Amino acid sequence: MTDALKEAVVLPAAFLTVVLLGSVRIGQAMNLVPPSVFALVLGLLVVRVVVQSGALAPQRLLGSSRSALANFNGVVVLLALWLASAQVIAVLIPESGLPRIGFGVFLLILLVNTAAAAPDRIRLLRSLSVTFGSLFLLKFVVLRELSEPGTSGLKRVLQTLLEGITLGALLQPPSHPAASYVALLSLVLFLVALFLLPASATRRTGALVRRRGDALEAR
Amino acid sequence: MTELRTERLTRFAGLAFTVVYAALIGWLFARQPQTVAQITGGLAATIGAYNVDAQSFDDGLRFFRNDQFVEARMAFARADPAVRDARAQFYIAYSFYRQGWGRLYSDDALYAQGAAAVDRALALAPAGRLVVDDEDLRMRTGEELKAELEAGRQREASDFNPMRVFRERK
Repeated sequence: MTDALKEAVVLPAAFLTVVLLGSVRIGQAMNLVPPSVFALVLGLLVVRVVVQSGALAPQRLLGSSRSALANFNGVVVLLALWLASAQVIAVLIPESGLPRIGFGVFLLILLVNTAAAAPDRIRLLRSLSVTFGSLFLLKFVVLRELSEPGTSGLKRVLQTLLEGITLGALLQPPSHPAASYVALLSLVLFLVALFLLPASATRRTGALVRRRGDALEAR
Repeated sequence: MTELRTERLTRFAGLAFTVVYAALIGWLFARQPQTVAQITGGLAATIGAYNVDAQSFDDGLRFFRNDQFVEARMAFARADPAVRDARAQFYIAYSFYRQGWGRLYSDDALYAQGAAAVDRALALAPAGRLVVDDEDLRMRTGEELKAELEAGRQREASDFNPMRVFRERK
């Protein structure tokens, strides 16, 4: 795959598809929900750690040595990455109540911590896969199972108790089973697209930088 | 040289594709279509290629004039599956009005659905002006129908006027 094809077609198409798929909310009716302002801010943090780790080398997307058209493609990739990051975060944050606040705060702290830890590309991709995967399981398996209307008497009793104890702050509005599949698809596509981003030529290891063929040097 | 040209072409085609794709996503966010028919109909309407099904529309009119309002709405919905035709939405709103109208009281739930339909009709009409040329109707503009539907849902002293029983359905 040529760089031009990747920058102009594959990456923007992948990230915009993440934006589209991530916006789908299937409940009583189908809605397309754009990312919230909070998700957009967290999306910026994701872009920051992606650049910091070397998973994305901005100089390979924008620079005076590139043509205007190539730079324009680069800007589009950066914008699409930001929107897709925000949308994936919006997908992973629960719809309402205490879990929404909890997940939001957790993601904010985690991304700030990741920025402070300054991981390299591989570690960042692993970290994001594990974090986003865990949040997906918590929201679309654990919370969904807890919130799903009970079929047995015992489950209905437990659900009523849980709702009473948490003052209704834990349970989520019911969602269609297809919503989980759409969310998983958008998450996987986002991680694949992150992997495809033009990476930095230098390999970072913590606070040390290894240039190709050079010795380790402190940064 | 050819390689450079191919690269430029790829970049330009990619940019054009991205702009169209982003515009489509923006359009979907703004319109919030609920069905595939609404998506395809909405896109067709954007380029002026959307038409209602004339046969179903005529069926709807026939049912409407026979006071078969549920059937009329089904036929109008079939005629305008993408919810893009102001006239079909106007008749749907009118069917809610006529079905919900009563000599002593009006059905608030039906009137609310009628108000939503007339809002859709006005939003779809060019410059928000909707006039339906139909001799059988006593209200031929979107504004008249909207005002009637909204007035019917309000509680006021005139609701208790016994002379109300002599009013006529429009």
